Amino acid sequence: MQHQPHRDFPTKPPSSTVSLDADGKTTDFRPFSAAKSPQMRTFHLSWLNLFSCFFATFSIPPLIPVIRDDLHLTASEIGAAGSASFAGAIVSRLLMGPICDLVGPRIASGTLSLITAPIILATSLASTPQSFIIIRFLVGFSIATFVSNQFWTSSMFSPSCVGAANAVAAGWANMGSGVTQLLMPLLYSLIMSLFHVPSSTAWRLSFILPAIFQALTGILVLAFGHDPVPSRNRKVGPKESVFSVVMGGLRDYRGWILGLLYGFCFGVEMTTDNIIAGYFYDRFGVNLQTAGTIAACFGMANFFSRPTGGLVSDAMGKRFGVRGRLWALWVVQTVAGLLCVLLGRVNSLWSSIVVMCCFSVFVQAASGLTFGVVPFVSSRSLGVISGMTGSGGTIGAVVTQLLLFSGDTMSKQTSISLMGLMMIICTLPVTLIYFPQGGGMFCGPTSNDDPLEENYTLLE
Amino acid sequence: MAAHRVIIMASLLFCLAGTCYGKVLFSSLKKTLDVTASPKHGQVVEAGLDAITVTWALNKTLPAGTDSSYKTIKVKLCYAPISQQDRAWRKTEDELSRDKTCQHKIVAKPYDASNKTVHTFEWLIERDVPEATYFVRAYALDSNDVQVGYGQTSDAKKTSNLFKIQAITGRHLSLDTCSACLSAFSVVSLIFFFYIEKRKKH
Repeated sequence: MQHQPHRDFPTKPPSSTVSLDADGKTTDFRPFSAAKSPQMRTFHLSWLNLFSCFFATFSIPPLIPVIRDDLHLTASEIGAAGSASFAGAIVSRLLMGPICDLVGPRIASGTLSLITAPIILATSLASTPQSFIIIRFLVGFSIATFVSNQFWTSSMFSPSCVGAANAVAAGWANMGSGVTQLLMPLLYSLIMSLFHVPSSTAWRLSFILPAIFQALTGILVLAFGHDPVPSRNRKVGPKESVFSVVMGGLRDYRGWILGLLYGFCFGVEMTTDNIIAGYFYDRFGVNLQTAGTIAACFGMANFFSRPTGGLVSDAMGKRFGVRGRLWALWVVQTVAGLLCVLLGRVNSLWSSIVVMCCFSVFVQAASGLTFGVVPFVSSRSLGVISGMTGSGGTIGAVVTQLLLFSGDTMSKQTSISLMGLMMIICTLPVTLIYFPQGGGMFCGPTSNDDPLEENYTLLE
Repeated sequence: MAAHRVIIMASLLFCLAGTCYGKVLFSSLKKTLDVTASPKHGQVVEAGLDAITVTWALNKTLPAGTDSSYKTIKVKLCYAPISQQDRAWRKTEDELSRDKTCQHKIVAKPYDASNKTVHTFEWLIERDVPEATYFVRAYALDSNDVQVGYGQTSDAKKTSNLFKIQAITGRHLSLDTCSACLSAFSVVSLIFFFYIEKRKKH
């Protein structure tokens, strides 16, 4: 890696317990114990920072029923803004990969959080549909922090627990998109009743909270996070340039397939975050707070569902190697697609809520399973592969939002079912992924040991 | 045969029950009330500042007894077609329980059939009413709160007598200043951090 780590992890672990593998990565992943080791402290700071970015980006959708009347938005403009929020993230996530390889995830995350916090504040200044769309585009940049977060955890935790570590970090951070759906309508009502301001002022004031939260976590990450050390055991080949690292990643077809898959698990999850509160509000006539609460259940399932995906990936990896991880990914994501189709077909409020909850568990577990495979594609180009996959997620979100949820041509329930169908179809390419040392879904491994270990695939 | 009869009776019962439980269709209502509103066609009034005066009375040409079941009159502010375009949350549906055309209540008053005068009400436009083009409609409700008649200021195609309500802006100087200060804090912290890092390196 090109950056100079500012603070290294201690070379000799203290007499309590940081056990390290040959690569200097820890094999200890204990998210619920007190964060004594620098890795766990950094882990917590990083996911909290990403949580604040999700909180901020998705703080706008739950208030759209109020904002749309204030800015006289049409359904097409709302759809365009939703797509724009993801489009901003596509480019930034792609760039984030090489940036992490260059300056390290700590500086990358912290800087991005502090730069995008003012943009969330700028939401309160929007007064035309065009400015609203532009702001949502710019706010979307902050969720590029996802790439640096996954890069960070993949660098700190060894292969035996990297699936779980990646998934817990991403899952707990994704909860931000759920918590915000709950908090923002409550905050809006509170501001209106406490300060006796009209609705159009109250929603603007509400955005101060996500902005402050994001800035604070950015500062904490910069001040207290630890940069990962470069991998010690890797046989370094010819001098690496940024260009070769980036091209190495882009040339790998597995990065593209994982990007597509992630587009249809995480991308679908993000689109659902955008539309689900409005769906319940408009279709079943519940009030803003209730719609927000239901939408929050969707996002907050991330607390256990994405980590479960990671744990399943690690467990399958232990028993069946990377083939097990691929199979688990295909099964879970296909089931998620089926549940999504069902969500668009059910007609009552309570059955919709139940199906939505099941759908949330499976689609989020699929995201966790995808990043259980990512660290194994390439060690040298880990940042780039993470960036490609992460970008794929947002591209999937833009595509589904644009195709299915802009304008009035289709009813929302039909769009949801079609989204499920797209998920099932676009999950099929996982059958094409093949690791020379680990095999693919339908083929066993071929002979191994690339003499230069140029691609350096990590396997148990 | 007996089975057929049971099915027919059951369906009739369900239809009637449906009517009792609010599945009233707008197309089944008769226009029995004359409703007027003070704004002229194309006039712009301001939310939170201006007031509109609405009047309603039973149409004089109708036979006696038309209003025998009317117990309440509910007057509402309704979106004109131009403000409903590309906005599914304001869509007009024939089934009144799903109709979203009239979302803002102006007033609800009890109805006395013996009182033949024209009723008037002056309404200060609430400041949370969104900026859009509107007309006024009054529903006559029976003792079960089910719509049994209506009247509106506009024509059947909702093209005449439409007026615009201008909303207040939520932006204030204090809010703008607060946002600017917090943004500056964010950027300054970043610059401060880089400065500290650079100093530590040397």
